[in-house]
Amino acid sequence: MTPSVINAILLTIKTLVLVGLGLYGIFAAIIVRQEQLMATVLEESFEPVLRTLVIVHFAASVGLFLLALFLL
Amino acid sequence: MPTLFEAPQKAKSPNRDPGRSHGRSKMRPLTSFAVNPDGVRFETQEEEERVILFLRQHNIVNVPWVVVAIILVFAPSFLIPLLIQNVPFSIPPSYFLVGTLAWYLATVGFILTNFLRWFFNIYIVTNERIVDIDFYYLLFKRFSQAELEKIQDISYSTGGVFATVFNYGEVMVETAGEAPNLEFVAVPRPDIVVETIRSITEELPGSI
Repeated sequence: MTPSVINAILLTIKTLVLVGLGLYGIFAAIIVRQEQLMATVLEESFEPVLRTLVIVHFAASVGLFLLALFLL
Repeated sequence: MPTLFEAPQKAKSPNRDPGRSHGRSKMRPLTSFAVNPDGVRFETQEEEERVILFLRQHNIVNVPWVVVAIILVFAPSFLIPLLIQNVPFSIPPSYFLVGTLAWYLATVGFILTNFLRWFFNIYIVTNERIVDIDFYYLLFKRFSQAELEKIQDISYSTGGVFATVFNYGEVMVETAGEAPNLEFVAVPRPDIVVETIRSITEELPGSI
């Protein structure tokens, strides 16, 4: 396999990964919003822990997108 | 001498706070059955309204997605060597790093969405009404309720090996008029749920 073909494959993978991680970030933001909405429906003692988890998940998705942008 | 007149007995005073006689339950993250739970409030709950029964689907319904999550956690240790063997060129380490992190992030997302769907799928019985809160796939929720006075019939059914072993089933609440019928799906101890609702409705003011 020639280097140009390999580079083209890696560039395609990079583009797909960045698009996928961008969409995943939107999905993670929707989870945060939905959790906030449901927290108004039900107030429960475990809900703050759940809120922290979904926010950390969203932050991780943004962080991974940036990491992919710089590393790949 | 035969009794010609007997004064009617004083009618039993209506219980203004039905369900109070039951014990109290402490709420935990995986609680799926709680009588008089502490620290639970829901949207549209009124000041004098009190939660008597708090239900979620039985924990056993989570087993399928938990098994899938465990497979997803261990999958990279099998998939990455397979990928290295079968790809005809060498993949830079940064691609493996980002790929692995993305895989585990997606696994966390899978676990979170499934847990949220279970966690916010709730059935509540108060001293005034029955509330059914459904949470479907992140973008849709449904809030149904039926006043206790409008309940006409309540029944339950269980079926299958797991439901019998773990004692969970469906509770059907039929209501009068245009109020929607409610169905509690896969709730623990359906017999106790039915009995509790029946005892609450019997204690309502105006009931015989």
